[in-house]
Amino acid sequence: MQYVIIGNSAAGTQAAETIRKYDSAGNIVIISDEPHAAYSRCLLPDYLAGERSEKTILFKSANFYGRNNVATMFGKKAVDIDSENQKVYLGDGHTVSYDKLLIATGSSAFVPPIKGIDESGIFNLRNLDDAVGIKEAAKKARRVVVVGGGFVGLEAAYSLYSLGLEVTVVERLSQIVPGQFDVKAAAILRNDMQAEGIRIITGDGIKEIAGPSLWNRLFNKTGKGVLLDSGERLKCELVVVATGTRANVGLTDKTGIKVNRGIEINEYMETNVPNIYAAGDVAETVDVVSGELGLSPIWPNAIVQGRMAGLNMVGQTRKYSKMIGMQNSVEFRNVPAIAIGLTRTPDDCEEMVIHRPHLNYYRKLILKDDILKGMIFVGDIRRAGVYAALIKKKVPVTKFKQQLLKESFGYSSIIS
Amino acid sequence: MKQIFVDIDKCTGCLTCTLACAAEHSSSKDIVGAMLEKVQPRISVEAVNGKAVPLMCRHCEEPTCVDACMTGAMQKDKETGIVSNENNDQSCIGCWMCIMACPYGAIQPNEEEGIAIKCDKCNGREVPACVESCHTGALLYVDGKTFTQEKLTKTAKALTEAS
Repeated sequence: MQYVIIGNSAAGTQAAETIRKYDSAGNIVIISDEPHAAYSRCLLPDYLAGERSEKTILFKSANFYGRNNVATMFGKKAVDIDSENQKVYLGDGHTVSYDKLLIATGSSAFVPPIKGIDESGIFNLRNLDDAVGIKEAAKKARRVVVVGGGFVGLEAAYSLYSLGLEVTVVERLSQIVPGQFDVKAAAILRNDMQAEGIRIITGDGIKEIAGPSLWNRLFNKTGKGVLLDSGERLKCELVVVATGTRANVGLTDKTGIKVNRGIEINEYMETNVPNIYAAGDVAETVDVVSGELGLSPIWPNAIVQGRMAGLNMVGQTRKYSKMIGMQNSVEFRNVPAIAIGLTRTPDDCEEMVIHRPHLNYYRKLILKDDILKGMIFVGDIRRAGVYAALIKKKVPVTKFKQQLLKESFGYSSIIS
Repeated sequence: MKQIFVDIDKCTGCLTCTLACAAEHSSSKDIVGAMLEKVQPRISVEAVNGKAVPLMCRHCEEPTCVDACMTGAMQKDKETGIVSNENNDQSCIGCWMCIMACPYGAIQPNEEEGIAIKCDKCNGREVPACVESCHTGALLYVDGKTFTQEKLTKTAKALTEAS
């Protein structure tokens, strides 16, 4: 049996490990376009800040591939799949046959169409190579503009700030972290970062990124100008673009695999094409809160999906139990924050709130018919997982509703 | 494999287990030292409707905290079954993903050091400090099967006596 896995991050490595647990004889091949052993993308901002090295961002032990007898084809890009003859084509002309194939290709940085955005000195922060590039460029830079006030943008901002750069973050929407937190939570996180000395501009887009003028270039200066929609001009030497991601589905073009925003899979992680599975950021699964099919590009879900794909590929049929599509935990500077499930209260839902912005403290619960649908904790994130379990298992909270917002609420409040 | 079990009816909420836990995880290994070092206990005793409920990590079979850990620090040891983010190849960074994942709320943030802390079953100690210190018998360190068997015997006994 030949198992081929395209992708060498959370889902891919987890699948390989799971397959090996049940099949000691089969061949397992991991193909990745990156030349590195599996590293944690979530740690790239820490790498950028110099807090972690290329070694300490690895999330598997050094002998992972050897111990699990996994063949690696790193630095090779899978470019096409022939689903009829069960073959994967690589960019260097080689082909790899498979009996079972897992597509765990993840996602890539989305770069918006802005004039001048493809010039040098402009980076994404998605891969280790991006981080290495930013780190090198930061040595010669004094000012940086970060485009996008989401998680990656703000983490990059904080890392670059801690390297001593002057940082400005520009977010097109009216609040930072718009995808993960509501207005109140975002305001607390924003104040915390601004108190550190990071400038944050919201509600303004990027019109153009201009390179150094001819005059400056003559003197070997690399300065750039970032022109905003409002007319403001920010000067900098380095630009980091963090405006979201897109699932890497390019590979599926000729296969007949059903693709929406990501690859559609069933609860056995199977695509609509036989012997081809998908997991992780590239896969679309049903969200337990909304009941809808969608991407859920977060680490824990990629791990679970990778394991489920592995189990099903090896014939240990197991159903993927629906997960919460959005769960995020951050601590940019001093204030920890966790959001799970819904973060904005729909009209037909009720909310319970404690809001003490002067203490950097905020708690919000969203309920519908006494079933928890979402939560935000800022400042004190203890026991957030208990609420996540209530959301996931759709437990009616009627009996302990009055205790839900109390700090003493925990697992024992539910069982007794 | 031995697990820590709780007999809720026997817990009086004396908190001795939390002190013993802190002492065991301090560098001095005694209670006064633990207080000076400000060591956080990894077991908590919660008050629910006037009843004391001890709560600690269950060292799950498929731990959600391990799935959520993006550094690889949180691991379940294949031999001992202990789930811990200490003494593994990777180190904890305090991203709190495990806190978001644990349905029991058994992982705490250590905000000073910026790492998550949890029960490590005293890392190979014959009997975990909390169990050893419990003088009401509310905490037990026994095999899962033994625990179930004893519970069954007890229930059977109670039923026969009642009839």
